[in-house]
Amino acid sequence: MKRAQSSSPSEPPSALHLLHVGSMDARLIGLSIERHWTRSVRLVETLEEAQVVLIDCDRPGIEAVLDQLAGHPRIGIVYYAFHPKDHAPRFQPRPVLGKPLNLESLPVTLARARADAAHVIAAAPPRPIAPPPAPSAPAAASAPAPLGNSLMADDERDLCGGMDDIPAAPGSPLPDKLFFNPDDYLIGRLQQALALASASGRPHLISGLPRLIGIEPRPIPVCITAFRENQLRPLAMTQLPESTGRIVSTPLIGEADSQPLQLAAEDFLWNAAAWAARGRLPAGSNPYRPVRLRAWPNFTYAFASPHAMRIAALWTRTQASPVEIAARLGIPHRYVFSVYSAASFAGLLDTTTGDANTPAALPAPPAQTDRPARPSILSRILRKLRDAV
Amino acid sequence: MRSERARHNKIIFSGTVGAGKSTAINALSDIATVSTEAVASDATARLKPTTTVAMDYGVLNLPGGEKVMLYGTPGQERFSFMWDILSEGGIGLVLLINNANPDPLQDLEGYLGAFRQFIASTAVTIGVTHMDSAPEPGLDAYRSRLIKLGLDPMPAIFRADARSRDDVATLVKALLYTLNPGLNDA
Repeated sequence: MKRAQSSSPSEPPSALHLLHVGSMDARLIGLSIERHWTRSVRLVETLEEAQVVLIDCDRPGIEAVLDQLAGHPRIGIVYYAFHPKDHAPRFQPRPVLGKPLNLESLPVTLARARADAAHVIAAAPPRPIAPPPAPSAPAAASAPAPLGNSLMADDERDLCGGMDDIPAAPGSPLPDKLFFNPDDYLIGRLQQALALASASGRPHLISGLPRLIGIEPRPIPVCITAFRENQLRPLAMTQLPESTGRIVSTPLIGEADSQPLQLAAEDFLWNAAAWAARGRLPAGSNPYRPVRLRAWPNFTYAFASPHAMRIAALWTRTQASPVEIAARLGIPHRYVFSVYSAASFAGLLDTTTGDANTPAALPAPPAQTDRPARPSILSRILRKLRDAV
Repeated sequence: MRSERARHNKIIFSGTVGAGKSTAINALSDIATVSTEAVASDATARLKPTTTVAMDYGVLNLPGGEKVMLYGTPGQERFSFMWDILSEGGIGLVLLINNANPDPLQDLEGYLGAFRQFIASTAVTIGVTHMDSAPEPGLDAYRSRLIKLGLDPMPAIFRADARSRDDVATLVKALLYTLNPGLNDA
């Protein structure tokens, strides 16, 4: 996989301002620029310095952003959204990219948007020419559902995507964007390193990354990394070039002048998979096949996506497909897909008895079907703890 | 399982000496915890200078003035008569196991046996403490022991730092969801 460094080798890098972008995407893009695009893109802090801006259509407050841009007709604009087709009529002729962003092609798109804007003679304000699209997903349209943890709504969108539910029963073709290829992400390299370390009994490193990541098999496999925790999430969400991340055997993992982070491999792989998944499933997964969690993940470290604890509580006691679990809990499929992806790489998914053609008989729903006028004592404790954490 | 109404609003913290029960309650409680510590005079003295002899007591204050009591049982087995008294009517059990003890898996088995009836009518979550200094046995060894003991569904079991309010709250949240995965915190 080749990185697009610039549309023209002689052109200076595009001055990109992340005008309306979530913190997670900002870190991810920043990391990619630092690693791959220093010759084609440079981040700037203010709109006045920018040649091109990036705007997340799904974030609230976009109207104010468009007003702000009206006075800058020569700035190129690249939009992105979970449902780009819904937004394209509104922002044409400017590009609306899909989420998750394809970071391979983004520099080229930015350069093109910059070049197009430079040719603008008449100052045409970038106001929408069509009304904003009606949100297509009911779950996203209504007030944000309680998250089951303390994630901010913005992070929730970044981490779990905005994928619509799939049909409740098999039969219809599933959209490609429902799946991700683990080999494109850090999680694929980690899985490979863990397999090699476990098979050989020797530590293995992922080479070619800016900092150390390796697996020591020990009696209990441990991941060792010199990345800081706040750097791991954007790294895990970024698609890595094929040439990055070769797995190599090493006699010892460690850096003389640093104190690398040591984490149980199970926790580390859970997190890397959940962050890569963004509400999708690993390629080849069957969302209608009943499976079961063989154990709860270690939620004092493992990333708890929205509703993850509820999902774990139900899925450790019953065999059911991801779609069935979502239906039982009354939550969007993407939250269950996120847990499914994480569990499958952490080794916590029991797939031995599942058969998509014979859906498991589920026990009586534990969910409260008739919501009492006053929340139960358990709900009230839960709310207290949510606020406390 | 008893109805929620039949239970008292109390959560029980139990586990081995030095696992961090008093510390965990202190981390979560909205009041200064009441503790019945006494100078340790037996083998416990090798682990820590004082130990809980009757109970620890903390409170979670809920909106509207309601309270949830947090009770910590004494860790020493000779005070085990307190375990049944304290757990009567409780919502569930948070069990803390000190991984640095000589045989923590046996500790786990002992406590699960002692609270068998209480757990059968409520739920349990397990926090394994001191794993930073004593990484083995790992969580998978605990899970294997839980399977061997026939616990189905498998309880939540996490690495935990009893000093961390986040970790203790996570254990209690898992306990609540175990009791009812349909709970919503809205």
